[in-house]
Amino acid sequence: MALKIIESCVNCYACEPLCPSNAIYEAKPHFLIDSKKCSECEGDHADPQCASICPIEGAILDAFGVPINPPGSLTGIPPEKMAEAMAELQAH
Amino acid sequence: MELPILNDQPTTKGGCSAGSCGSTDDQLSHLTDDIREKVQNHPCYSEDAHHYFARMDVAVAPACNIQCHYCNRKYDCANESRPGVVSELLTPEQAVKKTMAVAANIPQMTVLGIAGPGDPLANPERTFATFRALSEQAPDIKLCVSTNGLALPQSVEELSQHNIDHVTITINCVDPEIGAKIYPWVFWNNRRIKGKKGAKILIEQQQKGLEMLVAKGILVKVNSVMIPGINDKHLSEVSRIVKEKGAFLHNVMPLIAEAEHGTFYGVMGQRGPTAAELQELQDQCAGDMNMMRHCRQCRADAVGLLGEDRGDEFTMDKIEEMEIDYQAAMEKRKVIHDAIALEMDEKRVAKTQIAQERQTLPKLSTRPVLMAVATGGQGVMNVHFGHAKEFLIYEASPDGVRFISHRKTDLYCSGDSTCGEAETALQRNIRTLEGCEVVLCSKIGYEPWEQLEAAGIQPNGEHAMESIKEAVMAVYRELAESGKLEETDEQQRVNA
Repeated sequence: MALKIIESCVNCYACEPLCPSNAIYEAKPHFLIDSKKCSECEGDHADPQCASICPIEGAILDAFGVPINPPGSLTGIPPEKMAEAMAELQAH
Repeated sequence: MELPILNDQPTTKGGCSAGSCGSTDDQLSHLTDDIREKVQNHPCYSEDAHHYFARMDVAVAPACNIQCHYCNRKYDCANESRPGVVSELLTPEQAVKKTMAVAANIPQMTVLGIAGPGDPLANPERTFATFRALSEQAPDIKLCVSTNGLALPQSVEELSQHNIDHVTITINCVDPEIGAKIYPWVFWNNRRIKGKKGAKILIEQQQKGLEMLVAKGILVKVNSVMIPGINDKHLSEVSRIVKEKGAFLHNVMPLIAEAEHGTFYGVMGQRGPTAAELQELQDQCAGDMNMMRHCRQCRADAVGLLGEDRGDEFTMDKIEEMEIDYQAAMEKRKVIHDAIALEMDEKRVAKTQIAQERQTLPKLSTRPVLMAVATGGQGVMNVHFGHAKEFLIYEASPDGVRFISHRKTDLYCSGDSTCGEAETALQRNIRTLEGCEVVLCSKIGYEPWEQLEAAGIQPNGEHAMESIKEAVMAVYRELAESGKLEETDEQQRVNA
């Protein structure tokens, strides 16, 4: 069982020092999690630390590939509103 | 260190507070000598100094421990100038190298700041490694940090051990109900804490940090973002509280919220304040200490004088090729800094003399007038209307001249003979001068002259290269004496 960082990661470094298993490392184009080391913070913390500080919705997946912070959960921006704003910008 | 409350009465609309106005003041005139000493060469703290001294920020702190609704963590952006945005993230070693290169090449530089793009104190290793190295290798540079305050209490001890005279804390509220509308979450004790509970923790840490810094004798400036409908009515209370606790300067900044920035406020259509709303709130907050009004809301990797970013000259690839003899640079810097300090002192003395002379003139009883000034710095009128990147807005009144704000422009004149969109850009520039009755510049063309007049703004190019404040007062006196500023009955009643 291990968490995963995907391409929407903005390399903000916030997760790396928090990982109790030293499973997170800097890589290009984005940070990665060593699946052999990741314990999902079992035994260390109540919540997985990387997912608890990551500011980017959808950037961290659980062992089933499901985003721990789904769209709208962190910023409070309803996903349809975000899509609407981005569509309008691209139209210009 | 406690600062005396000099004037706890709110300023009247359109008028002046004793602390922030009057022709005899400089912006920091009410401060004790030791504080003045600490801020007189800091462009972000002293309105006077920002015309002469430069600063730089290094981007070593990418991680953040809170989310603000006006921030988007995709900070890697080349063409935007706003807080939190940087082009190049540096390691502490690179940051030290860059700082010394800039200090050698821009000798007017006095201050190195760390302001993000995340929170410097959420990146304590990177931030303090940079400060430690600079304290040793570049002892003539003042260090500065800007923080959201969540991790401040545990950092105060270490902060006090470096060459740090000032800390900026961004405090947008003291009420968790309001905080919940600004901060969706904070990361605290290994958990993400949302809503009011998170905001309450943040507020407590900010206030505790502020008190601890003041107790250590470190100067604290408080930044607040004015968000209409969210905290605009609340910020005068914030101002009162932080001043009581010893913050020496309050900087109320307008919200920046465009949809394309992808922030909560941008996407949800939250508007920023108008120039008039911002000014009104700044006047309300101005009491025992001055409001800071010259903030340019810089990028977190800005380099140079405020409003003039020279970051492109100092990218890491260019710095790698530079040979720096810092010892020689430091000697040169000292000579230049001393000369600037002398010039500033002379101007202060001259200003006091002029103010004394003015007291002998008959006291005017005319209404205040806003005037815009095109300037490239040094406190003089030295820019052509069409080349102005920004206008500084001053208020002239019988009590003197006070700086109100700056307003950015789109350059409409690039020096070419023709420009397809010149007219629309000119119209836009004229709109940014809304509320001003006069615009002063070194020179102005026939077409903008006509259009400004049509918009009810009187252009004036007669005071080129003169001191701004003196020229503004001279124009005000002319207007007053020609009978153009008679108060209406309504205004007299309001002012009574």
